[in-house]
Parts: sequence; structure tokens; C-alpha cells
Amino acid sequence: MSSDYEYSDDENYFDDGDDMDTQEDAETFDEDEDDVMGVDFKTDDKGKRKAYELDYSSFSQSDVEDLMKKDIEYICGIFGVDSGFAALLLRHMAWNKERLVEKYMDNPDKLLVAAGVAAPETPIVPPNRLKSPTASQAGNTRRPTRTGSKLLGFGSKSSGASKSPTISPTISPTSSFSVQPKSPTSSEPFTCPICCDDVPSLKPVALDCGHAYCSNCWTDYISAKVNEEGDLIVRCMGEGCALIAPDSFVHSMLIPDPTAPIGDAEKEEANGNTWKRFQELLVRHFVSSNRDLKYCPYPGCTNTVSCPSAASKLSLTSVVPTVSCGARGIGGQMTQSQQAQGNLGLAGKEHKFCFGCPIDSDHRPVVCGVAKMWLKKCRDDSETANWIKSNTKECSNCQSTIEKNGGCNHMTCKKCKHEFCWVCMGPWSEHGTAWYSCNRYDEKGGIDARDSQSKSRASLERYLHYYNRWANHEQSAKLSLDLYAKTEKKMEDMQITSALTWIEVQFMKKAVEEVDKCRMTLKWTYAMAYYLASGNQKDLFEDNQRDLEKAVEDLSELLEQQIEPEMIPTLRQKVTDKTVYVQKRNEIVLDDTATGFIEGRWKWNVSVDGFDDPENTD
Amino acid sequence: MAGICRMRLTEERKQWRKDHPFGFYAKPAKATDGSMNLMEWEVGIPGKANTPWEGGLFKLFMTFPEDYPSKPPKCKFNPALFHPNVYPSGTVCLSILDEEKSWKPAITIKQVLLGIQDLLDDPNVNDPAQSEAYTMFKNDKVAYEKRIRQQARENFPK
Repeated sequence: MSSDYEYSDDENYFDDGDDMDTQEDAETFDEDEDDVMGVDFKTDDKGKRKAYELDYSSFSQSDVEDLMKKDIEYICGIFGVDSGFAALLLRHMAWNKERLVEKYMDNPDKLLVAAGVAAPETPIVPPNRLKSPTASQAGNTRRPTRTGSKLLGFGSKSSGASKSPTISPTISPTSSFSVQPKSPTSSEPFTCPICCDDVPSLKPVALDCGHAYCSNCWTDYISAKVNEEGDLIVRCMGEGCALIAPDSFVHSMLIPDPTAPIGDAEKEEANGNTWKRFQELLVRHFVSSNRDLKYCPYPGCTNTVSCPSAASKLSLTSVVPTVSCGARGIGGQMTQSQQAQGNLGLAGKEHKFCFGCPIDSDHRPVVCGVAKMWLKKCRDDSETANWIKSNTKECSNCQSTIEKNGGCNHMTCKKCKHEFCWVCMGPWSEHGTAWYSCNRYDEKGGIDARDSQSKSRASLERYLHYYNRWANHEQSAKLSLDLYAKTEKKMEDMQITSALTWIEVQFMKKAVEEVDKCRMTLKWTYAMAYYLASGNQKDLFEDNQRDLEKAVEDLSELLEQQIEPEMIPTLRQKVTDKTVYVQKRNEIVLDDTATGFIEGRWKWNVSVDGFDDPENTD
Repeated sequence: MAGICRMRLTEERKQWRKDHPFGFYAKPAKATDGSMNLMEWEVGIPGKANTPWEGGLFKLFMTFPEDYPSKPPKCKFNPALFHPNVYPSGTVCLSILDEEKSWKPAITIKQVLLGIQDLLDDPNVNDPAQSEAYTMFKNDKVAYEKRIRQQARENFPK
């Protein structure tokens, strides 16, 4: 039984991530399926990619780090520099290798300064950037301690700065309160210009610029930058100094040397977390610089999805790039074993999102542009204006908006004192004493106003028709959490009251998942239908939509039913049949719309980015 | 953290007493019980000579966060100043006072105050913080200068 168990999760896994697998995989899996669940859920077209699916792959954080390493090594190979250096250059150029090489060849010095790798007027610094702090103690070169110039941080550099760290620790060029040397010996104690501490154990640490500070201050500063500002660019703490700390430096400040004495455990843990966050920021920066990659938007998830076929804006008019990063659950990484439990509900929710837009869920079948437009319409006040239009009239003289909340038809505008008839909108002077009935309905004066009135009312009703259905499915999807919980309980009951085993009650879970998925599709079909230009294509679309909706509602009803022990076998048969049918209908809707987008079959009643404008623009 | 903050502020105080630019003053505020509150300083910045700001001594409060010097102090003119880069609340908008821009832990109080003094007669039009002073500075330099001179007179040290 244990193998069956494992297998059934595989089934789900492959089902969700079809596109990631080769046909071969899918076929082997098909054979397996026949052994166990194939009887229940026979799907013959596995392995054939459907029109609504597209190629993408999912990377974990370490996979992306490998990609970054490759780029860095590439640059190292060309420029002959060390990796920390290459990483800073790449980051500066948003990981665009070609432009980096071009710019570097053009003017290497300028680029190095701009990237924060080297200070101005300094020759290219050799890769040895983390200075041994004690070495600087020996240096006895002394410069005037006090200067008001802000530029001193740069000006103080001599060409030899890279070779010998000549900065005496007591001389901090940017600090105006640097302590005067107490004795002329070369080994005067170091005072950190940030915290003003001067305990003998304090070790000065500096980047290539030589601005030395104690390691505690560096650690605090890096933590503040990384944790609070989410910034991966950690510049030297000296005023005006633009040098950026390379990753190895950040690492050495956060993660103590294994040989170092054991310090404060709490602090070390915090620093460890900061380092983790820093690495995450590096990956995020890389991902956001690359059009083919997108970071999983689910909280706590660190996976990345690569989908080159949806990277261009143009492609978004023909595909709906719904992708999944492969992880499940909210918050924290789930282990494989947790996933294998096949949890229902939130804990087992797949990380599905749209590659092309910021909507964190599957908005198939409708394309990003239209989905965005729909959400905006639902959020906007534009519908408030629509309501005003439908429930109020405008004074035919001064155009003030008036809502009639009682009384007779003889209206007197509060503002301009114009008297008119509410029914025909014509001037009251022609009405005499007909306060409650207006027989002048066909007078020319009133007809125009009424026409625009009815038109606006119709458009509001049309919108509400689609919106209510859309909202209804959204609401149902929200309630699906309850449904999941209820179903899980029912599955347990079934195992107790009948002879069915765990694996045999899985049809319920499958059915619930399918309903949830289809509701998502249905929801967005209403957004799509709202914007579709009327015609045969729209009729066909709405037929498909109706079939799916009916099937889903039927299945929902079956799932809500009370379970009688003797009825279980028939119920099981019914649910299984319906599930397969619903699944088919859903595929048809998705497939047909996706093909339509590829063929350019869909026409909108409004103008949508990337599509032809509607033919009759009125 | 708090330890660093106080240690640094004590040292800043020491250095300021030893030497500070002419015309300026800076001292930690007195709490109600008469004790010294290192986290809040009362500061005076004089307008530069040969500018419309000459003669004025502008009062400013510096508030230091617990994670100073990782984070910059907040500088607020009291009363609020007529200046394109001062918010209506009196808070100064300056790149070296913005942790996401040029703030560095090594910047001293003296440098901050000199920076603000520089800003007085050299506003940054790319980063306006109040509309009144900004529009006047952009559209009518003469009226702007007149207003600044008047403000300097109002802030004449007693």
C-alpha cells in the first residue's frame, strides 16, 4: 500500500506540473496510473501539451545562485578579476553581461568607480580587498588629522593605497573628531570613529579605501542596511565614500571565523539571519534584472520560475503564463514529506501565479491586459458614477445632479430655481396642474434626456450581470477552505462507516480540488465575456462557459450531500464521473480560449493593449 | 546598540565643546527633571555672511534614533522654515540625512550642521519639500530673497 500512497502524490505533482515534464515522463506515469487510479480518472491525452500550457521551469534559491556564479565566472574569465569584484560589476550593470563588457572595454576606470569597486583616481585595485586589520597598525604614515573638506575621503588616496594600507587607525580622514595621538609611538590604540570605543581588543577593519571602523560597527551597519532597508549595496561608512563592500566582506563581518572564540549566541544567530537575507536579496536582484525570471510572490517562498516564452510584452497577448514554482503551502518551506501528505486547503495550496502580471493567482483563460482592466474596473469609482447616472437626473437648465426621493413630478432645482417635470424633463410651465401624471411624454424636449438615461442604465445592468457572477465565484473560492475541511471530515467518516480504504476515498479530494480550479476559471471567464465583442465567437465562448458552470454546480451539489453509508458506492461512481467530466469541460474552455488567442480569434469591445482596436468604436 | 548610540553622542558632545564652527551652538536638551537628554539636541545654525540669510540664527531640534549612528538623526527647524527643502513640519530634506541616500555612520554632528547651513543659501530644486518656498524660488527670485531677509531678521539672536 505504501507504494500506492506515494504514487498518488506523484500523480498530483505531475498533473500540476505537466509542462515541466517531457512526454516520456508523462507516459511512464500514465502506465502507473492505470494500476491504481486509472480506473477512476482515465485521461487519455496525457503527455500532449495543451494550448493553454507553456514551458517553464522552477529554480530553488541555490539553483539561481548557481546561475549567478556562472555569470560571475564568465566575467572573471574575460576581465581576469576576482569574483567579488566581478559580482559588483555585474550588479551595477543589472546583470547585462554584453553591456558590461562593452562599457568595460570603453572606459574601465570610469566603470569601476561607478560600480563602487574602486575609488576615483585609484588604479585598479587588486582583488585582495579585505585588509588585514593588524597590518595597518604597523603603518606609521601620518597625515594631518583635521580637515574640513568633504572630499578628503577621495583625495586622501595615494596610488600606493592598494598595496599598503597606510591609514593609521587614529586618523580617519572624514571624521572631524578623530582622536589626536596621545603618544608618538606607532602602536597607539585604535578608536573607532563611529562608536568612539577604544578598548584595546578593538580591531579596525576597512575596505580598500582605508576608512577603518571596528567590526561591531560594520556588523550593525550592515544589519541595518540589509534588514531594515532591504538594500544589498553596502557602501563604506565614511562620508562621501562610494566604495561598496563585496559579498566576501559582508560575509566576514556577519559570519565569524570558525576559529574565532564563541561569542554571543543570540547575536550570532541574528547575524546568520542577516547573511541569509543578504543572499536572498542578491538572488532577488538577479531575478528582477532578468526578464526570463520571476520570483515566486508567495510569502516565505524563495523559489524562482523561468519562463522565456512569456518574457516579452508582446507574447502576453497570445498566452496566459500561469506558472507554479513547485512549492506548496504558505510561509516557510515545506519539506517533501509534508507535501507528500497531500494536504487539502491552504497548507497544500500550490504556488500558482501569473508570470506576466502581478496577479498572484491563475487568471486563465483571460489574458493579463484584460484581467488587469477588469480588476481596475471593479475597484474604481467608475461604477459609482454609473450608479449616479442611473438613479439621478440632471437639471435641464443648470446640469446639477438631482436625486428625487419623494413628492410629485414638479421639480424645482435648488440651485437655479428652474422648474421642470421629472418624467418628461420638459419645463413645468407647459404642465399646469398635472402634478402626478405627465401626458407630454412624447414632447421633443424630454426624449433626448431619457435616451441617454436608459442607455446608461443598460450598461450598468450589463456590468452588474458579469460582476455578480465573477464575485460569486470568488466568494465560493474563498469558502472552499471550509469545503476542504468538510470534505476531509467526510473522507474520514467514509473510511469509518464503509469498507473503503484511504486510497479509495481520495476521489472526494480530487473532486474538491477540481471544483476549486474550475471556479477560478469560471470567475475569469466572466471578466473575459464582459469585454468580448458580441458575435459568434462570443456565443461559442459563452456556450462553453455555461457547460462548465453547469457541470461544476452539479459536482458541487454532489459534494455537499449528506453521506449515507449504503449510498457510498453510487456516490463514488457519480462523483468520479462528474469530476472527469468537469475536468474535461475546464480543459475545453482553457484550450479553446488559448487557441483563440494564438489564432487572434478574440475581439474586444474596448481597446486593449496589443490587440486591434474594436471595429465599431462607439 | 543603545550603548553605541550614547557613547558616540557623548563623544560628539565632547568634541563639540572642544571646538565648533563660529556662530553655531549645539547642546543636549534638558529633560523636565533637569537631567540631560542626550538623544535630543537643541541646535542653532547661523545664516552665512553675504547671503540673504545673514544675521539669522535658526533654531533646530536634532532627534537621535536608538540605532544612531546606523540611522541618521532627524533634524527639524522650530519654527518651520521658509525654504524649498524644509517640509511644512520643519523637517529638513537633505541627502546626507536620508539613510537611503547619502547618510553614513561616520558623518558627525558638525558635518550635518555645516551641511544644513550650506543648504540654506543653496536649495536643491530637484527635491522640493514645500510648495510655497519652492514656487517663489522658481518664479520670483527677488521676492524670494526679500522674504528670506525678512525671515533672517525675525530670527535675529536675542
